[in-house]
Amino acid sequence: MSRPAVTDASPRWPAWLAPLASERPGRGDLRRAETTILVLIGLFLLVATINDTVRKIDTNHRLIADLHTWRTITGHDYRNLSVEQDLKGYSTREIVCGNTRPGPPGEHVQICLVMTGPVVHGLRSTHGGYYLPPRAQDLPRNRYGCFGAAASGGFCGPTGVTAKPKSLSYEGE
Amino acid sequence: MNQISNPPPLALEGAAAQGATVSLARVTGVRSRRVTGALVLATIVLLAATLEIVIDGAVGHSPLIPKSPQIAGWLSGVGERLGFRVFLIALLADIAAYALFLSLIGSVPRRLAIVLVAALNMIVFAGPILFSTDVFSYIAYARMGASHGLNPYLHGPFTIHSDPVYKYVGSDWVRVPTAYGPIYTLITYPLGLLGLAGALWGMKLLALAASAGTLWLTWRCAAKRALDPRFALFAVGANPLYVTYALGGAHNDLIMLLFMMVGVTFALQERDASAASAIIAGAFIKATVGVLWPFMLASRRTLGTVGGALGAAALCALAGYLAFGVHGVDLVAALNRDAALVSTDSFPTEIAHLFGKPGVFPVDHVMLKAGLVLVAVHMLWRTWRGYDWVAASGWALLAISVTSTWLLAWYILWPLPLAVVSRDRRLLIATFAVQALFVIHQTSPLFAPVS
Repeated sequence: MSRPAVTDASPRWPAWLAPLASERPGRGDLRRAETTILVLIGLFLLVATINDTVRKIDTNHRLIADLHTWRTITGHDYRNLSVEQDLKGYSTREIVCGNTRPGPPGEHVQICLVMTGPVVHGLRSTHGGYYLPPRAQDLPRNRYGCFGAAASGGFCGPTGVTAKPKSLSYEGE
Repeated sequence: MNQISNPPPLALEGAAAQGATVSLARVTGVRSRRVTGALVLATIVLLAATLEIVIDGAVGHSPLIPKSPQIAGWLSGVGERLGFRVFLIALLADIAAYALFLSLIGSVPRRLAIVLVAALNMIVFAGPILFSTDVFSYIAYARMGASHGLNPYLHGPFTIHSDPVYKYVGSDWVRVPTAYGPIYTLITYPLGLLGLAGALWGMKLLALAASAGTLWLTWRCAAKRALDPRFALFAVGANPLYVTYALGGAHNDLIMLLFMMVGVTFALQERDASAASAIIAGAFIKATVGVLWPFMLASRRTLGTVGGALGAAALCALAGYLAFGVHGVDLVAALNRDAALVSTDSFPTEIAHLFGKPGVFPVDHVMLKAGLVLVAVHMLWRTWRGYDWVAASGWALLAISVTSTWLLAWYILWPLPLAVVSRDRRLLIATFAVQALFVIHQTSPLFAPVS
C-alpha cells in the first residue's frame, strides 16, 4: 500500500511528519466502525428524545387538568394562572395560583391549590391550599390561611396555619 | 449530493430511435413539470411559513416572542398572536419544504437559490426579535460600557436597571456578566450609543451582514471543493433553524460563523497564517470556534498556522486586556460558567430523564466532558492521518452541541457550514439528524397545548 501524497505546504518536514493530502486508503474498517457507533448513538438519542417528548406531553396534559381543576373549584374562568411544579421532589404535585377576583396577575389576593394524583375526566385531586397577599412571591413566609392537606403538609410553616398579615386587606375570600 | 441528471442516451437505430426519443422527451417533460411544480410548492411554503412566523410574531404578547420595543409595529395589524401550535405547524411545514427543495436542488437555477435565500433572510430581518432575549443582553452589555462606563465582564445588566434596555433582558441573565469574547463586546460598543431602537436595528443589521458573509463564503468554499454551491448555500441559508432562530434572534453566533468561514476560506487557499488568525479572532467573538484551530494545525502543520494564531491571540488579548482588564481575556472562565448551565432541551437532560433521573448531576458533567475529549482526540488522530480537517472540526462542534447541557437551537447550527463543505457526507447527515431530534423535542405543545 503506497503512502498518500503529501501536500506541498511544508516541504521542510521529514516525510513521516509531512501533512497528508488525503487519508491512507485502508479496508474501510475504521469508517465502518465509526458509522456503526454513529448509528447507535443516533438511535439512542432518538429513543431519549421520543421518551422525553412523550413525558413533556404527559406533563402538559397534567397542567391542562390542573388549570381546569382550579377554574372548576374556584368558579373563576381566569386565563392568567401560575403553575409551580415540584422540580426538587420530582413528583407530579403542582400548585396552581390565581387571583381571587378579576385583575392583572398577582395584583389581588391569590388562592393557591395543591394538585396531586392522576388526571381523571380532565380533573385532578385537590387536597388543600393557601392564600397569598397581592404582589407577593409564593414563599412559605408569605403564605397564610392554609387549609386541608396543605396545613398539615407544612406549606405555611411548621405550625400549619400562618396568621393573616395584619397590613393586608382581604378580597374575595 | 442530490442532483437530477438526464437519462443516458440510448443506442437505437431508425424508427425505434425516433420513438424512443419522443418517449424519452415525454418522460423528461413530465418529470420536468413535476420537478418544477414541486419547486414552486416548496418555494411558496418556505416563504409563507416564514412570513407567518414573522407577521404573527410582530403582534407580540406571545410566550414565544420576547418582550421588545416596537420595531416591527408596521406589521402588527396584519397577523394574530403567535401561539405554540401555529408556530410549530409553520416550522414543520418550513422543514418539509426545505427538505423537498434540497432534494431537488440539482434542478434549481443558481439565481433562484440565491434570491430565495436572500428573501427568507430579509423577511426575518424586517420582523421582530424572535424566541430569545439574548440580543437585549448584548445591547445591555454594550450600553454598560459605552454609556455607563461599567465593565460588562465584572457586572451584570442589573447595574444599569434604570436603563431602557434593562426591562427587556431575560430575568435569568440580569446579574450575569457577559460570557462573550472581548472583540465582540468592542464591536457592539458603538451600537450601544444609538439608543435602544437604534441598537436593536444595529444588532439585526450586524446579524444579517454576518449571515450574508457566511453564506457567500460557504458558496465559495463549496465551489473550491468541487461541491454544488447551490446545495451548500441553500442547506445553510434556508435552514429553518438558521433563519427563524439564529437570524430571527440576531444571535452573535452568526458573527462567529462568519469568522469560522473566513478561516476555512483562507485555509482552502493555503493562506494558513490568515486562516489561523481568523479562527483565533473568532474565538475572541465566541470561544467555541477556537475548536477549529487544533484540527487546522494537525492537517496543515505549517508555521503560518502557529504564527497566525499566536499573532491574532496576542492582538485580541491585548485589546481585551486594555478595554476590560484581565477578566476580558479569561475566555475559559466564561466557558466553564456556561458549561454548568442546564436546559430542558439538551440531550444530556433527555438521557437523564430516560434513566429516571430528575436532571443532570455534576458527575454527568464530568462524563460528558470525558466523552467530548474522546471525540476530539479521535478526530485529531484521524486528521493527523489525512482526514479532512474541516469535517473533523464539524464533528467536534457537533459533539460539543450534543454533549452540552445547555443546548439552544442556534448551537446546533455551528457545524452546518462545515458539514456542507466537508468531504464526509456523514457529518451533514448527522447534523441534520441532530437538528431533527431537537425539533421533535419541541413538538409537545402540538399534542397538548397548555392555555
